[in-house]
Amino acid sequence: MMRRFNSLREPLRRLLMTNSHLEAPFYGKIVRGSKFTPEFAQYLKLPNGEVGSYFHDISLDLDKQRRTVNMVVEVPRWSNAKFEISKELSFNPIVQDNKSGKVRFVDNVFPAHGFIHNYGAIPQTWEDPTAVSSHEGVTEIKGDNDPLDCCEIGSAVLSMGDIKKVKILGSLALIDQGELDWKILVINVEDPLAHKIENIEDVETHFPQLLEATRNWFRNYKIPTGKPANEFAFDGRYRGVEETLAVIEECHDSWGKLLRESVTDEKLPQIKRAGSGVVYESNELPDAPVPPEVGKWHYINN
Amino acid sequence: MVYSARQIGAKNTLDYKVFIEDNGKPVSSFHDIPLYADEANEIFNMVVEIPRWTNAKLEISKEETLNPIIQDTKKGKLRFVRNCFPHHGYIHNYGAFPQTWEDPNSVHPETKAAGDNDPLDVLEIGETIGYTGQVKQVKVLGVMALLDEGETDWKIIVIDVNDPLAGKLNDIEDVEKYFPGLLRATNEWFRIYKIPDGKPENQFAFSGEAKNKKYALDVIRECSEAWKNLIKGKADSKDIELTNTTLSGTSTYSPSAGNSVAANEVKEDAPIDKSVDKWFFISGSA
Repeated sequence: MMRRFNSLREPLRRLLMTNSHLEAPFYGKIVRGSKFTPEFAQYLKLPNGEVGSYFHDISLDLDKQRRTVNMVVEVPRWSNAKFEISKELSFNPIVQDNKSGKVRFVDNVFPAHGFIHNYGAIPQTWEDPTAVSSHEGVTEIKGDNDPLDCCEIGSAVLSMGDIKKVKILGSLALIDQGELDWKILVINVEDPLAHKIENIEDVETHFPQLLEATRNWFRNYKIPTGKPANEFAFDGRYRGVEETLAVIEECHDSWGKLLRESVTDEKLPQIKRAGSGVVYESNELPDAPVPPEVGKWHYINN
Repeated sequence: MVYSARQIGAKNTLDYKVFIEDNGKPVSSFHDIPLYADEANEIFNMVVEIPRWTNAKLEISKEETLNPIIQDTKKGKLRFVRNCFPHHGYIHNYGAFPQTWEDPNSVHPETKAAGDNDPLDVLEIGETIGYTGQVKQVKVLGVMALLDEGETDWKIIVIDVNDPLAGKLNDIEDVEKYFPGLLRATNEWFRIYKIPDGKPENQFAFSGEAKNKKYALDVIRECSEAWKNLIKGKADSKDIELTNTTLSGTSTYSPSAGNSVAANEVKEDAPIDKSVDKWFFISGSA
């Protein structure tokens, strides 16, 4: 009797879950190659089975009232492999960034281990490298040619390729080698603390010192590779939610323009989207070993 | 001596055990590995229990024959340390000095607290992540005296002799020079690591200052003497398993003790409960 009851309850529970997270359960992935090699690629699989683009086929889903948006997770917290949505490959799979065939890992800058947030991108946004920003305070600067980056601060470690509805809390305007590279601070709406966190002040209250650690992380993370410290617009001050919403809208407009104008410039992102029924097969291979030097902690004298 | 690790059971389960082997034969990680790798040059053997940036509280068993490394449990559940921001898991390669013992029957004149009944704890700060059951040769740099729930729990700070910086590190002040902020982080880590479990902040003796190499070497010598009394049966052994395969003068010498240890198993790690991933933000900790 009890058994039968449970067997009924489980599908019901799943159905209810499905209703409250409309987008999440329907996406799959197609994985090719070994993780930590230049050949690795993880593609988005749409509910109808065809391959899609993490960049273009996940909706932005910006809700200005609830201040939520979609996020594609690229790098789980406390890991080092620099996974990102590819601009070069058709359908924009998640790949590991590489420099002349060598896969990239971020260095651990003491006291951080790897990335200190679940790091990812906001789909259907683009920081336009062909035009200067119209955002007050950074109007002289061009974008970095990527989707908007975001840092999710919830307690769970998320997985590569996760698509999460997140609440927008504020942002930091990083200037990376002369290019504008906004970092949008967000929290997963499913996090137990999400209902208490509305803005940057709440982050400082509930996650003391995380804001400072975040700024230091982005300032210093390239120093071990011999590059200079990164700079910030607005003297490194965090921007509020309203201003951040405007940034997201501007970058969504830029993305729309990118797709509409479909410029054939090989430096610009690939814009191929789902719709023609392309199907890829998975061909996942065992992970390649992570080089031991990725375990090193780098100390920076400030 | 060629040391290796023999794994039994999957990591993150109650069955998991790591024995240290000498030339393929299981030995006691507590009693059979010499404390000194090279006494004249003050190079020590360290047994790695916990790799840096991991959470499973693995330690040399006091109860099991040949003292394999096992995961500590509480009420039958595996123990993991909490992540206290900005730290992720343990921030050193954490382990112990074999053939040492912090005697619970003896109160230290300076810390005014008795030993915690364990081998001496060791924090290795080199750049390479160790593995459970690894025997490393290390150089001693200093020591901190944690008072953990009223017991003296020395933390000896060392560096692997093969680390690229080992030649430049000779005493405690070199740690601050080459690893700026690490001693402060170490102090903070041990003070707050039990707060998420509802326990009070730990205290350090000597106002939290790390003592120098000379002081650390004295602590090691005392704990080495305490262990010698323990293994000779001259100390109240507090139910510590003393079976060994190399110390022929002891009543617990048993050269064939390793024969009954199960063969090495390569088992996939069991998944770790998601709750271990949480980051705890403790305000005013720094």
